[in-house]
Amino acid sequence: MDDQTPSLKAQLYAACEEACSGDPDRLFTQEDLTALDVIPPKDIKKLLQLIQILTNERLFAPVHLHSGLAWRLRPEAEAAKYKQLTSHDQVLVYEIIDAAGAEGAWQQDIKRRLNVQDNALRKALKELETKRLVVQFTTVENISKKMWIKANIKPSSRATGGPWYTDQFLDEAFIEALQSVVMSFIKNRGSYLSKGERSARSVSPVLPKKGVINGAASEAAIKSKKRTADAISKDDAPVVASAKTRKTIRLPLPAGYMEYPTTEEITAGIQAAEVAKGQPLKQEHVQELIDVLVWDNRVEEIRMGNRIGYRAVRISKQNPSLYSKPGDEDFWESRSNGLTTVPCGKCPVSDLCEEGGPVWAGGCEYFDQWLA
Amino acid sequence: MNGNQSNGHDLENGDPDDPDDPDDPFDDDAHYVNGNGAGHGIADDSKPIEADEVYDTMAQLIAAGVVESVSTTMLQSPQDLKASVEQECTKEFPNGVRGAKVTSEFDMMVKSQLKAIGAERASTKRKLQESALYEPSNIKRRKLANWGMSNGFAGDSGGSILRDEPNTVVRLNFDKCLVELRNQKLIEHAEDFVGETTAQVFAALLASLCRKVYRCQHNQYTIMTEEEEETYFTGVRVTTEDIFDHLCPSVDLSAGIGTASEEDIDVRFAEKIRKYPPQVQGARLNGTLDEGDEILGSDDEDYDRTGDRPKGPYANGHGHRQGSITQNGTKLGGDYSGEGQPSRAEQIYQMRQHLLILAEAKQQFVRHCGQNEWTVDFGPLIQQIRYVELDTMIEDNFGRHGLRLTRILREKGKLDDKTLPAMALMRKPDVHVKMAEMEMAGFLEVQEVPRDNNRAANRTMFFWFFDEARTLKRVLDNAYKSMVRCLERLEVERYKKRNVFSVTDRKDVRGQEEEKLRGDVYNEYLEYLDIEKKLLSQVSRLDDLVSVFQDF
Ligand code: SF4
Repeated sequence: MDDQTPSLKAQLYAACEEACSGDPDRLFTQEDLTALDVIPPKDIKKLLQLIQILTNERLFAPVHLHSGLAWRLRPEAEAAKYKQLTSHDQVLVYEIIDAAGAEGAWQQDIKRRLNVQDNALRKALKELETKRLVVQFTTVENISKKMWIKANIKPSSRATGGPWYTDQFLDEAFIEALQSVVMSFIKNRGSYLSKGERSARSVSPVLPKKGVINGAASEAAIKSKKRTADAISKDDAPVVASAKTRKTIRLPLPAGYMEYPTTEEITAGIQAAEVAKGQPLKQEHVQELIDVLVWDNRVEEIRMGNRIGYRAVRISKQNPSLYSKPGDEDFWESRSNGLTTVPCGKCPVSDLCEEGGPVWAGGCEYFDQWLA
Repeated sequence: MNGNQSNGHDLENGDPDDPDDPDDPFDDDAHYVNGNGAGHGIADDSKPIEADEVYDTMAQLIAAGVVESVSTTMLQSPQDLKASVEQECTKEFPNGVRGAKVTSEFDMMVKSQLKAIGAERASTKRKLQESALYEPSNIKRRKLANWGMSNGFAGDSGGSILRDEPNTVVRLNFDKCLVELRNQKLIEHAEDFVGETTAQVFAALLASLCRKVYRCQHNQYTIMTEEEEETYFTGVRVTTEDIFDHLCPSVDLSAGIGTASEEDIDVRFAEKIRKYPPQVQGARLNGTLDEGDEILGSDDEDYDRTGDRPKGPYANGHGHRQGSITQNGTKLGGDYSGEGQPSRAEQIYQMRQHLLILAEAKQQFVRHCGQNEWTVDFGPLIQQIRYVELDTMIEDNFGRHGLRLTRILREKGKLDDKTLPAMALMRKPDVHVKMAEMEMAGFLEVQEVPRDNNRAANRTMFFWFFDEARTLKRVLDNAYKSMVRCLERLEVERYKKRNVFSVTDRKDVRGQEEEKLRGDVYNEYLEYLDIEKKLLSQVSRLDDLVSVFQDF
């Protein structure tokens, strides 16, 4: 090692730091490093020497790729942690957990890769834990797995299950509640609340200009909770129309309506309503909620030009109240058909049922009840 | 779908005891549209029905195609008929049918003979239709002050034609009846998905369209008249005006659609014309023309003038309209002759809004297939309806979560037991319980893929999937079975009350049960009637379902 080396080393590290400032996970191959113009292009020997030093100092973390070896930069603070390690086992274990990042490493995996004794591994982990370098956590994908992660980072959302999990358990109440919010938002924005007064309506579905409208109010009006409450309170007020009293229902909007809420808008609405605990829900999570509502057949996609909006299914059969939840009995008038009204439609023993069999229609209890 | 349907299933009209049944196919209070004839003479049973009236009603039924006159060829099965025609034709070719040219000649001959048979069958109908009174297009609907649909009862020429042919034998035309029943089902669904007023507009559209629809399903043996063949290959379509003429005048077209600000409505999008039918893709429908679709902003001139909708004779700039008339050749808004409020143009404008909603609906009840032209793609639509009925059953049996899981599988195909709970936002054990339940009931299938040779459960991947054909078949099967069970139960109930029937079957008691029966026996009798009503209406509902899955 000549006296140039330390300064060259520092220069190379600084150059790499700069090169990956946009993407801290960037990998450097040997060519990449040469291209940084710190080392004379021909001097491969020098380069290798520097890489070796940096790797030893834990400032470079080697990564094995199909195409060969590459290095990831390790921040100095992280590299310093290796100095605290006191045994070979600790180093090896810590390297694996360090490389696993936010996904964490499974204890079983570490053991297999290092091929060490169980108690040696446990000892190393224990020591690392006391040094506050690693912590154990559980992943929702398999709560019985012992997982380890570096102490200073949070498990990935795949491991925590994202916002839907509270302490590794799917928070169904939370999901239901959010679904209701999404549902009422979609319902409110994509339908017209008819209070049964005929005369109050224009004869055409398309109003000449933006006026006082219900289902299609402006963005700002929707987001204020006051409006919602307002709409509900009117539901309860008895409607005494002069001619015929019709019940309050929600009506579909005219074809070509372009303001059905999109995922983006629904996300914004939820964030504004501040229903989600902790950090705000991301769009992708709201999309998951909407997808489920679509699969539940409560909501459908509607194309608006090149955008996708959402609107309620069977709007005129839905409970006009924005507070009704998709799981409620009175959410809407449920559909029925011949097989839902006959007892045999959901009979658990229908496969056994025949004349002379263990059960048959003539002596069937379900029919007894049904006919009673 | 399955072979020849001409014999239908007889229960279609097997439910006379039950006027209250909401699904009784012939109890159609909402369906004024083709209510000509049926139930007309029954309305007043204190007066004996006049022979003229019978002839006339019959004539209307035949003209509408619900009843058909029978000719000898109809007694043969279509297969036999074709075979015998072919045999006849072979005689014309003493040298045998060989070679491309001769074969095609032969085929032509068979075809034209079959067509002649078709024409012969329809001859009475044709004659009656030509007597003009029954052609709905000849009826100026809003001009007649009749209560419902003007049913052309004013003249008797139809009846007199029949009277001249007293030996006409008639029977129900099941094919046509199925078309009508299918319409009713579709209307019900439109009511359910969109709303009542829109459904009434849809009813008018179907009534108008189905004058040219003769059967729900075709097969190679179907014998068509020239007329039918034409519409079969080109598809049927109706104009906005046609629909309007079939609309019950009492429908309040202004109802049933919410209002929205004009700037939130994209007319070009609403008025999008779709020239080709959608493709069925699994459970979803995709318009084939999503990208290169022709978008017409001015499908009719009403739209050009949305800003100043027709308000009356003066509201619409005449100069403005002229160009459009030549453009689409329809004379809309031609008569503002002051038939009270609102004007015809205004009403048509409003009716179009309902049609556009039907076209925009996920189910695509209606296809806006050309300027001011509309059609219905029955095949894909019925497929959608089948899914709706299936979903209804699944939700009823397995709840919202069960429905969610099956619909995910229908959309995504096979899924393993890791992905599914994550997508459904459900707990894994809950998913497993639901899936097992649904698999038992035959709504889902599961495939086990062992990861190694010893097939241990924890080393096996489970893939669930939705086997559409099997499930639909299973539902049909269940419907039939349930129907049988209802009838079986009815038998048993009858047997239980046999002491009552031994009395009520007596001639002197029949019809006067209330006076003649002892109080407790009469009550028992009423009890039985109640049970019978319940069971038979249930049979009818099941039958309805069978139609959806099999006949439509
Ligand atoms: S008759 Fe009774 S036992 Fe038989 S399938 Fe129906 S409900 Fe089940």
